[in-house]
Amino acid sequence: VLVVVRSPLPRLRALLQRCWGRLERGLWPGVFGGQSTPWGPALAVQGPALVPRGMDDAGEGSAEAPSLREGVMWMAAPKQRRTIEVNRCRRRNPSKLIEIKRNIDVCPECGNLKQKHVLCGYCYAKVKEETRLIRMEIHKKEGGPFNAPTVETVVLYEGEKPTEKDEGKRIIERARKRPSWFVQN
Amino acid sequence: LLAFPSGAAWARGLLSWTRPERWLASGSLSPLSCIHTSTSQNSGKIGKWEKKNRIVYPPQLPGEPRRPAEIYHCRREIKYSKDKMWYLAKLIKGMSIDQALAQLEFSDKKGAKVIKEVLLEAQEMAVRKHNVEFKSNLHIAESQTGRGRYVKRVRCHGKGMFGIMKISRCHYFVKLVEGPPPPPEPPRTGFDQAKEYVQQLRNRTLVHTL
Repeated sequence: VLVVVRSPLPRLRALLQRCWGRLERGLWPGVFGGQSTPWGPALAVQGPALVPRGMDDAGEGSAEAPSLREGVMWMAAPKQRRTIEVNRCRRRNPSKLIEIKRNIDVCPECGNLKQKHVLCGYCYAKVKEETRLIRMEIHKKEGGPFNAPTVETVVLYEGEKPTEKDEGKRIIERARKRPSWFVQN
Repeated sequence: LLAFPSGAAWARGLLSWTRPERWLASGSLSPLSCIHTSTSQNSGKIGKWEKKNRIVYPPQLPGEPRRPAEIYHCRREIKYSKDKMWYLAKLIKGMSIDQALAQLEFSDKKGAKVIKEVLLEAQEMAVRKHNVEFKSNLHIAESQTGRGRYVKRVRCHGKGMFGIMKISRCHYFVKLVEGPPPPPEPPRTGFDQAKEYVQQLRNRTLVHTL
């Protein structure tokens, strides 16, 4: 960096010498638009910063409420290592063990296990699969989004004819026998 | 007059102590047929738990009570923590296999799915290979977890800081025994403790005296 000085007055010269000295020692990093934060080591370290601050900050240190130097005092830290006996007492306490569930029953339809307040997983998956196939048929019939008709839909399986009740409704054909659980409608 | 076998028969007779029935692989004559049933990635070593299925007891005498069948099964290097898996192992210890499968099916933990698969495999093995008549007539005698191989990796924090995390794996071991589950022990009451204390006092004797 080239600094040109043109025969300044003695006071200005002294000031310039001081500024130059600070720059050389690296205590004035804010000059060239660089970052002014103090940099520290790259490992995760708790407690006070390891880089000693310059003399300029000694004045404002007392004004700041507990700075990083006093941080060690009020952070909670374990005093003694917890023995494995103590750890086991805590981890194996009955409140932390898994409770056995007493609300498991057998589904009367398929015989799989189910929770009392929840639908049977197997039966639900069965119905979901059939619904997916019906929806695929509907998609084929409609041909695109926003084409849903304003009339009701009826699903007819193999060998079924639309009755007079299904006069104005849209009919979806499914190429299989009607499943025993599908409602006749 | 001793019948003295000659040649190979004599040598085999001398060395019969090197072939106890415990080392005979179950259901086969050649000793090398079952060695390669171990999984890859374990550097060829068959774990101790897998070897427990190989013991063959001598035939029982007519008067002895029937020895219940024992089936040992395990799964190695499950991507789960051994402490978290321990809670599930503790849950199903001592239950019948049906009850254990029911509890695991509705448990929300990741290890529950793995343990359920292991139990179903073990049940299948029991029926096919270990001469178990009814697949529901099994109960869980032991269920344990072990530490698998850990791997250390870097975990990035903010501001260029890093920590080292360990990716943990575990093993799961189960022993099924034929028969209904044993009745649970009654909890120790104060009366039992008092009885034991009085018994300890009564057991005291004088030592080093006449």
